[in-house]
Amino acid sequence: MSLIIFSYLCFLIFLGAAGARIYKQKRLPMHLRSEIYPVQHEPGTKVQYGGSYMEEPNWWEKERQTSIWNEIKYMVPEILLLRGLRQNNHHLWRLSFPFHFGLYLVLITLGLLFIGALAMIYGVIISSKAGFWASFLYYLTILLGFAGLTLGTIGAGGLLIRRFRDPELKAYSSLGDYLNLIFLLIFLGVALLTWLIHDRAFAGARAYIYSLLTFGQKSIPYATERTILGWLTIFSGSIILAYIPFTHMSHMFMKFFAYHKIRWEHAPNFKGSKIEQAVLTNLKYNPTWSAPHIDGDGEKTWADIALHLPKEKK
Amino acid sequence: MKTILSPADISKKSPKLVHLEPEKLPQLPPPYEDFNKMPIPELKEERVAKIETSLDDTVALGIPKPKTKEEEERYLRAFLSGLQKLFEEKNNWTFLQPLLISMEHCAKCQTCAEACPIFEMSGRQEIYRPSFRSEVLRRIYNKYIRKGGKIRAKFTGDIELNWTTIARLAELAYRCTLCRRCASVCPLGVDNGLITHEIRKLFSQELGIAPKELHEKGTLQHLRVGSSTGMNPEAIKDSMEFIQEEMSEIAGYPIEFPWDKEGADFLFLHNAGEILAWPENIGAFAIIFQAAGISWTLSSERVGYDGVNYGVWYDDIQFARVALRHAEIAKKLKVKKIVLGECGHTHKALTVSADRVLPGDLNIPRESSLVLLDEIVRSGKLNLDPTRNNFPVTLHDPCNIVRLMGIVEPQRRILRKIAPKFREMEPHGVDNYCCGGGSGFALMSSYNFLQWRTLVSSRKKFLQILEAFKDEPLEIPKYVCAPCSNCKAAIREILEFYKAKERSHIYYGGLAELVVNAMADMKKPIIKFE
Repeated sequence: MSLIIFSYLCFLIFLGAAGARIYKQKRLPMHLRSEIYPVQHEPGTKVQYGGSYMEEPNWWEKERQTSIWNEIKYMVPEILLLRGLRQNNHHLWRLSFPFHFGLYLVLITLGLLFIGALAMIYGVIISSKAGFWASFLYYLTILLGFAGLTLGTIGAGGLLIRRFRDPELKAYSSLGDYLNLIFLLIFLGVALLTWLIHDRAFAGARAYIYSLLTFGQKSIPYATERTILGWLTIFSGSIILAYIPFTHMSHMFMKFFAYHKIRWEHAPNFKGSKIEQAVLTNLKYNPTWSAPHIDGDGEKTWADIALHLPKEKK
Repeated sequence: MKTILSPADISKKSPKLVHLEPEKLPQLPPPYEDFNKMPIPELKEERVAKIETSLDDTVALGIPKPKTKEEEERYLRAFLSGLQKLFEEKNNWTFLQPLLISMEHCAKCQTCAEACPIFEMSGRQEIYRPSFRSEVLRRIYNKYIRKGGKIRAKFTGDIELNWTTIARLAELAYRCTLCRRCASVCPLGVDNGLITHEIRKLFSQELGIAPKELHEKGTLQHLRVGSSTGMNPEAIKDSMEFIQEEMSEIAGYPIEFPWDKEGADFLFLHNAGEILAWPENIGAFAIIFQAAGISWTLSSERVGYDGVNYGVWYDDIQFARVALRHAEIAKKLKVKKIVLGECGHTHKALTVSADRVLPGDLNIPRESSLVLLDEIVRSGKLNLDPTRNNFPVTLHDPCNIVRLMGIVEPQRRILRKIAPKFREMEPHGVDNYCCGGGSGFALMSSYNFLQWRTLVSSRKKFLQILEAFKDEPLEIPKYVCAPCSNCKAAIREILEFYKAKERSHIYYGGLAELVVNAMADMKKPIIKFE
């Protein structure tokens, strides 16, 4: 029961910390535009060569078009296959791709275990001998879980060794960078061992999700005791979950802001728009920059300072 | 395993952190091999005795060395105070969100490094790696600004903050051209160019430290006198009279320069430096606008006749002051729009960056002159004969116009129509390389900075230009079309320094000149290969 409480706690820490990060981003003031082209939601052929609406004469008189389809066409291979890294850093991609793809498969496996545990709550047994869908779920979980854990372990181990051995990575790596990979390697490696030695059908893993969903009840089809390796998998997995939002690994959800709110954020400011309202709000800030040509005293607004020439030198 | 400099090494006192050896830089092909042994000239001891020179072989800022321990302490306190302000909404609403994203999510995968022409052309010197200076700032921020900094530093990477650290960091912020090619390849959206910009801003807005060419002779002079060239309204009108005469001779009929024409279709905001260095560029625009029957005007009001905005490279307040003056002048003239001349940072500053500084009536539409030229060329209003441009032409893509604004095709459509021997550089478009003069470098020439720039930061562009013309005989004239003042200044230095005019007959100029050169009814050619 204490392990279940620990997992709940880690999940809550994840939700709280990730939520706090996202909330902080959402309430930041609107920044100056600093887009980089290609902006992937530009329509038609513009996205292929990196063009923008500013290529059109009198662009402000025309309805601005965006293409969600172009964005999806870019984002799917970027997320699933790490296309950008493959193009620009192929050497690292050979390790980073199995690592990330392995983690995606592990996440999908967790989703499948969740579905399986829900089915168990409604009395459906997930096994090789059950009906079509239950046995499909049974085999798919094994296939994706095994593939995910194997790829993830190889990738994490490879990235860790690369970080230790490549001088260009090592010179910039901190203890935190190593710990990120070590924690993930421990979780993935232990989970793989657990699968190999004790839990080839992921029945123990599914039973644990069942316990989480039922606040501690043991599932009937899996009544055996938890092994040390199983315990270690759950413990390290829970820790990782709680740890992610405090590290740069939070890019798994913060990349949204990096791309959609900065790199591709090029909405123009029109009279009477929300953007103009935000501009007016920002111009009321009271900066305190100390250089003589600014002399921010915390009382003058940003607009006051910008509308007046700097003081003459004496 | 070889060891390389790490970000923490920036704090270790030594006469010089890095020395560039010419043999280790990427080599130039024939007939330029003699430059492969050329070192960056040594700084003259008597000139640099009192300033900080401990970063590398050159100096951009020339920060005076503190005379006392107390002065050193004051610098450190001011630096930390400025760093704190970078992360406050009231002080840095302009770039807080991009800065936080870039500070918190770097995976140190070094993908950015392969995209950086300065890092590559320096022979992979660590200090020029895009993530080096970002990591220095990140470590200082984590240790000295964030809560629990000393413990945090054990996990996020330690660094010592002393005078050497900040003096070197200030200089290092001026070893990047802010081309943001590194940011365009970052898989996580981290922008090392933006971090460099923020370091520059910290030093300018809190400590009052910025290159003289950008601040005192740049934005301050621009705002006080009217132009960063130092020209007042009378001087600019005098210069334009000479250009008017010359253009009338080329056209064979009188060319008009309309001044302060209220209600014109647009205010043409041109770089005043061009009026001195490349008068034919604004002259070519005047010829084109007149031939196309367009209503336009220039402004003779202070600031209004110089479109540059150096603030965009180092200081948000100075940037906003210039942008607001430009908008006020356009508003007073009651024009429908502002058209930006061939100047990359002018384009980006007023169209993109200022878009979220200009409210209400000051938010006057802004358009690129490349877009307007394309519209005019396509309209058929000009009688064009492309055979008049029957020489090899290649196109340089200014980072600010192309990668940072997405204006890629209009200039190409024009060239395909008027330059039969047009060929691309590789890579081009949004993947282009900077001219090496970006972010103010083209204006900076104190000490030996000009030689550093030409040997290191412009080296990639020179190699690209040579590659574009490699199949052409050396003796025939070739034209590098660079529709940006800053880029033209950098390319001028490249071609002069490497003697490319003498050895390969490579010339350079803008896009408007090529259009006029193709106009069949011009009495004389505007482009002269001499």
